[in-house]
Amino acid sequence: MINHHPDANMLVEYANGSLPWALCISVAAHLQLCPKCRAQYSQLCSLGGAYLSEAESEPVEDDSFSRLMGRIDANDASANAFALDLSDDPESAKEASSPARELPSKHLPKVIKKLVTDELRWRKIAGPLKAARLATGQDDYEVSFHRIAKGGKVVEHDHKGIEVTLVLEGSFSDKDGVYRRGDFLVREPGQIHRPTATLDQDCLCFSVCEAPVAVTGWLGKVVNPFLSIHPS
Amino acid sequence: MSNSAIPQIGEKRTDTWSEYLGRVGKKRDQQAFKALFDHFAPLIKGFCLNNTNQSFSSDAAEEVVQEVMLKVWQKAPSYDPSKAAASTWVYTVMRNARIDMMRRNKRHKTDSDPIDVEDLWDEDSDTGPVVQFQKLRDQEVVRDSFRILPVEQRQALTEVYMKGKSHSEVASETGLPLGTVKSRVRMGLQKIEAHLGSRTQKVPL
Repeated sequence: MINHHPDANMLVEYANGSLPWALCISVAAHLQLCPKCRAQYSQLCSLGGAYLSEAESEPVEDDSFSRLMGRIDANDASANAFALDLSDDPESAKEASSPARELPSKHLPKVIKKLVTDELRWRKIAGPLKAARLATGQDDYEVSFHRIAKGGKVVEHDHKGIEVTLVLEGSFSDKDGVYRRGDFLVREPGQIHRPTATLDQDCLCFSVCEAPVAVTGWLGKVVNPFLSIHPS
Repeated sequence: MSNSAIPQIGEKRTDTWSEYLGRVGKKRDQQAFKALFDHFAPLIKGFCLNNTNQSFSSDAAEEVVQEVMLKVWQKAPSYDPSKAAASTWVYTVMRNARIDMMRRNKRHKTDSDPIDVEDLWDEDSDTGPVVQFQKLRDQEVVRDSFRILPVEQRQALTEVYMKGKSHSEVASETGLPLGTVKSRVRMGLQKIEAHLGSRTQKVPL
């Protein structure tokens, strides 16, 4: 049972395409795990469709349709000429683009699976927390896997920007609750927390972080390991 | 709007555009495509010109129309009338095309990105039933729910949907606090939801 979801505002921005790319990845991954949010998302899209139907029409140029058909014919012709069959076994195309590599879990949402193109490079961040960065073609957000070793307590920390966490495997808790697979958490700056993985297994999360996190505990004064996670 | 598309609330989607789009997908019917073009192209162009965000010139808006309608043609075979009305589907194609164009313009050359727009907005996803729910909540119902919204909620939703803006963009342009914009959008959505609930039967998920 998933208890934590993106809020309506975030889903709206995902539906209208204004949400930053990295956050869209986390929402898309959550949607792949959560039928409730998928339902809400399709409703938001029908609202978009309704707005489109209500838009003020603006006449297009006279030759607009014929130009388009010209393009379509040209596309078809070149597709035929090069025997580029787009319907050609999508499975084999997928395989080709994602060579065998080790995934951190067998049950990753499709979109996250696709992000894992190379061998993951796990780095120890602090105590029981390890992270592996993922390339997403943008540098406004740090996108990574986080893994907390079972029973591990992560050092108390704050965030300088928004941090989204999607639980993929195992579970963790903080003072506000317990989070399991599919749970989607948004931390705003100022929400100090100390995640602890449950004892039974490691906890794997997908994390999207707007700006480096700040460590708040006494340990933070000595080392500030979280500050090493920053968009490069 | 000149043509009358009268979607029905119920099992089958019978509005003209969804039927045409289905024909374009299945039979590559050019006449049906022409009809869809005549209906949607001016709406897409109007939608773009309205989009103060990117201050489209008329030429650029024409280009978007071409781009979107080309995608409509190419992707029509994956359209499933039982899942979405044509206008909803075209809306998502348009949104994706817009994001694609924006990303092409500001793409970082150094950083690779293994995923694309189609991966993030996976409309014909095989990740489960895309909900009976939405089938019932038809366009017409949504449309007249606009009429029941208080002006400020309607305006907030219009900014977000018509212009594809984020809440913070709306806030900075209107001078309203971000929290106010967010709550107007949320309350507007809740009202629409409540309105739909009273008009249609909920299908359990």
